[in-house]
Amino acid sequence: MMHISSILLFIMYFAALVAVSWCFTDMETGPGAALFSPPNGGDRFKIEGRAIVPGLKTQDWVSSARVLVEGEEYVGFLRTDGSFTVNDVPSGSYVVEIVSPTFRFEPVRVDITSKGKMRARLVNYIKTSEVIRQPYPLQIRASGPHSYFMKRETWGWTDFLMNPMVMMMVLPLLIIVLLPKVVNTNDPEMRKEMEQSMNMLSPNPELPDVSELMTKLFSGSKGSSKTSSSSSSSKGPRPAVKRR
Amino acid sequence: MAKLIFLWLKCLVSCCIVEAVFEDQVGKFDWRQQYVGKIRFSHFDSHVQSSKKVLMATEKNVFAALNTRTGELFWRHVDKTGPEGNIDAFLLHGQDALLVVGNGRLLRSWDISVGGLNWEVVLDSGSFQSACLIGQQDTVKHVAVLKKTVISVHYLSNGHQKWIENLPESENIDYQALYSGGNGEVYVLGIVPHSHIAIVVYSMEDGEIIKQTSVEAPWLSNIQTSCAVVGQGMITCVDSLTMSLYTLDMHTQSKMTQIPLQSLGLEVTPHFHPVLVSHQPNAAHQPLSEFLLQLGPEHHLLLQLNSGQMVVLRDFKPALLASFATAGEKTVTAVMSPKNKTACSLSLFNAETGRRLLDTTQFLSIDPNVGKPESIYVQAFLKKDDSVSYRVLVQTEDHTLTFIHLPGRVMWTREEALSEVVTMEMVELPLTGTQAELEGEFGKKAAIQDGLLSMVLKRLSSQLILLQAWVSHLWKLFYDARKPRSQVKNEISIENLSRDEFNLQKMMVMVTASGKLFGIDSKTGSILWKQYLNNVPSNAAFKLMVQRTTAHFPHPPQCTLLIKDKDTGLATLHVFNPIFGKKSHITPPALTQPILQSLMLPLMDQDYAKVLLLIDDQYKVTAFPSSKNVLQQLQETASFIFFYLMDSSQGRLSGYRLRMDLSTEQIWEVIIPTEIQKVVTVKGKRSNEHVHSQGRVMGDRSVLYKYLNPNLLAVVTESTDVHQERSFIGILLIDGVTGRIIHEAVQRKAKGPVHVVHSENWVVYEYWSTKSRRNEFSVIELYEGMELYNSTVFSSLDRPHAPHVLQQSYIFPSAISAMEATLTEKGITSRHLLIGLPSGGILSLPKMFLDPRRPEIVSEQSREENLIPYAPELLIRTEWFINYNQSVSRVRGIHTAPSGLESTCLVVAYGLDIYQTRVYPSKQFDVLKDDYDYMLISSVLFALFFATMISKRLAEVKLLNRAWR
Repeated sequence: MMHISSILLFIMYFAALVAVSWCFTDMETGPGAALFSPPNGGDRFKIEGRAIVPGLKTQDWVSSARVLVEGEEYVGFLRTDGSFTVNDVPSGSYVVEIVSPTFRFEPVRVDITSKGKMRARLVNYIKTSEVIRQPYPLQIRASGPHSYFMKRETWGWTDFLMNPMVMMMVLPLLIIVLLPKVVNTNDPEMRKEMEQSMNMLSPNPELPDVSELMTKLFSGSKGSSKTSSSSSSSKGPRPAVKRR
Repeated sequence: MAKLIFLWLKCLVSCCIVEAVFEDQVGKFDWRQQYVGKIRFSHFDSHVQSSKKVLMATEKNVFAALNTRTGELFWRHVDKTGPEGNIDAFLLHGQDALLVVGNGRLLRSWDISVGGLNWEVVLDSGSFQSACLIGQQDTVKHVAVLKKTVISVHYLSNGHQKWIENLPESENIDYQALYSGGNGEVYVLGIVPHSHIAIVVYSMEDGEIIKQTSVEAPWLSNIQTSCAVVGQGMITCVDSLTMSLYTLDMHTQSKMTQIPLQSLGLEVTPHFHPVLVSHQPNAAHQPLSEFLLQLGPEHHLLLQLNSGQMVVLRDFKPALLASFATAGEKTVTAVMSPKNKTACSLSLFNAETGRRLLDTTQFLSIDPNVGKPESIYVQAFLKKDDSVSYRVLVQTEDHTLTFIHLPGRVMWTREEALSEVVTMEMVELPLTGTQAELEGEFGKKAAIQDGLLSMVLKRLSSQLILLQAWVSHLWKLFYDARKPRSQVKNEISIENLSRDEFNLQKMMVMVTASGKLFGIDSKTGSILWKQYLNNVPSNAAFKLMVQRTTAHFPHPPQCTLLIKDKDTGLATLHVFNPIFGKKSHITPPALTQPILQSLMLPLMDQDYAKVLLLIDDQYKVTAFPSSKNVLQQLQETASFIFFYLMDSSQGRLSGYRLRMDLSTEQIWEVIIPTEIQKVVTVKGKRSNEHVHSQGRVMGDRSVLYKYLNPNLLAVVTESTDVHQERSFIGILLIDGVTGRIIHEAVQRKAKGPVHVVHSENWVVYEYWSTKSRRNEFSVIELYEGMELYNSTVFSSLDRPHAPHVLQQSYIFPSAISAMEATLTEKGITSRHLLIGLPSGGILSLPKMFLDPRRPEIVSEQSREENLIPYAPELLIRTEWFINYNQSVSRVRGIHTAPSGLESTCLVVAYGLDIYQTRVYPSKQFDVLKDDYDYMLISSVLFALFFATMISKRLAEVKLLNRAWR
């Protein structure tokens, strides 16, 4: 007798389980499935959840925030602790979003079966039947403040100097101007050594020595080198300003 | 050349996909005004002595707290529109505001200090009757809500239900009112009309019925309108038929005592329903034994009921409004009485004695064209010497709120009519006198006949005038610079309004549902004029048209507002000057027949006013203005004037042509069967729209010409079957002249609301896809093909080839509430769609994202054309919100207007709020940006200059040295 009753109980339990799973499988058949009760008849349910803004003590933002279910079809308001309840929602599938001018919250899709079973999942507008479960009651965490503004491109000396074009022009210049000063060219041994190395570099003695030419040119006309550097500075900032 | 422009445009487009506001531009050229709507219930926060809050629940389903010092919002909660968000009752107790919402569906408690929700509970179904706070032993801890059949009591602290009881015999008795005197009992008053009153007394503790009585009252039909509880549980009623007051002690008596009004020496104004107002300052105590009785539209009385004795304390005649207010222990009556046509006086009276309080009388002027005062809300407070002072909030017929402090000082006014803007126009400001004079030099025909010398003289004199103006302008700048900023700002008035150099400042003419017209300066948002039309029917439809702009100098600009009663179809015209708001002296034609359609013609009369045609239900046409000149012009051009009529109840779209004698003939008709689908909107193109480029350059350098039919109508239909499997959206593109159907598209498994934008050669519409449960955008573009049929002029009658139709759809991750396209002077700038979202943001979405030529596979050619590869989902980026964090609630419409700069488009979004800004769809390519670095440019220039100087000097030295060597 005990055995039979336990079997019966088991069957009942199983049936309940099947019923529950059936509820969810018909959700999964896709959004087109017309299994939801019409909005005027049938039970009304409530969507509960909580909006969390990490690292914020005062909850002043709640007075300017709202919970919108499927556009403005159902509206809920936030309590001072960030929790919310949207009452009077018939069964169906809804996108729940918290709108606030200060913080950004990700929307969540909430499915309510005709029996009142709730499920939350990520919103995916392209694959509407895809299910990535989210906790229910909803825990919606703010992903930071909204970024409404573009950053102005400010002009600073560092930007200008770090520009690769400027670097490319300034560094060789420094080397050309400073190197002859560092290396003592008056020392005859040194000169000999340099000449040797130069000869090794340029096997063709008929060609004019490039480095000599350059040093001659630059040490000869300091002024002109300055002009070129300053004219480069006038050209410099233009490529530095990136436009999209 | 055209190709060059195209190329340039392409560069332009490619570098401006991202358009956003910079942080330093906040508030520079944009402004927002927030409104709440017409007040239904209002209470002053008396919890804290020095509180500055006034709380209001409005007819727009908004619950808000306003600062009484400035009139600005502390916070505001916007609920759903329609009956589901309707606020039925508002009770204030300390820090908690209790609202019954949606015909008794929800009970909410708000914390008024920060504006957060305390709790919200769902009440049982049943239509709402009344709600009241219940006190017991000097404390208030419960609230009772009376429905048609049940009464429930909830805790104030958490909203939990204490008990709920069914009302006895609720099928016969109409329970209407609740009363609690603070002794732990709840009285429910019900009525069987013209028979008796039923009184049920519940115990507050457990909801048990303590007592149940019924009292004969055959004259009574409604408790809420004619009865009130006064003093120690005395029901007092007034009846206009028997001209009597009736009183009943609920505790002891079982029969009503009749007191004829004549015995008090009073009489009721004929056809006026008398009103009784009692006052219960604290829910834990009994109401006062004094009450107000209104016997006529301008007749109020303060009465006292003391142990069955009725005493007239004071007779206020004439008195427009009267109201009770309590400060501390003292209760006063504020009475507003008319002085003359333009002024009212307000005074306080002691409620217990009826004596006028000293130094409380103040006068306030009432503009005759703003409407009568409708209600007053009084904030009484005790001064340091224990005397009573007060501030008062006056609401007038035109939904203006005025807050007045004691010596008649207006602290602030709010134009709540602007919470419901129906339609608007932006009108250019007039030129100043000097500007007009300069124009006149070239405009006058006489100039040609003048000799050379006089022309030169004229030229010189006008130059002199310019110089003078410039000098005075400089002087003013210098003068203003020394003054503090706050003084300079509020200088704008109607007198010194003039067009700025880029025509960025315009006059916004706004028409509101209450029938009040506003002229608002688009730069600052200040209201420059207002005009209340007091004969506007409540269900009127408005159409605002600019008949004459400011361009025709000696003639004043002229706007015409067509006001049409939606039920009867009868219409009136209001002609006014949009700059000053003054009614024009021109008498519009009397319209005796219902008006079906109105259209503005590009024809002008001799005074440069555009001709307005009105078609009545006999298909006769009335012209306004209808001078001889106009009629002659109409006869000449009648065969070119076509118009369409839409009868959505019969699904009939028909086209007509004007005959010479101003009668009409039907030339085409399209029947859309109403059993299957109904027409939702018919959208033509905007008449002031310019299209700069006739075509698009393809990747292979050939040109795809646009189909630019100015007569094209987009007709949107929705299926009558709302089942989500069978519902659909239809879109028809019809030529308005010939009735030729250019294109027809059906979106299956879709439903409205549909938002449409029709411009250039494209139609963008948005709908809800029931299959995938998402919002989708669809775009239709029409092209003539690779060659143009007749490139000089477009004629609907001579276009043999059907256009090529391209269509593409996208997913949009939000619902939308309004949509419009940007508009610029010459149409060179790329277009953006401005989309109002329910979240309050206004998204500026580049049209290039909604382009049916977006390829799925990127090819060399599509890259050349700068086409973005197709992606099914459109993104909402907060950088594209043109209103950053300035949310605009319930956007109903977005108005766009071109400015004098090609890059700039003026945008006004209106709904519950009004937001004005400028957008630059292709960035500011025609003016220097505000972040233009003058410093850098000048420093580089100077550096270059000095460098050349120094190098020159050095070179000289060098040369000299070489010469010496």
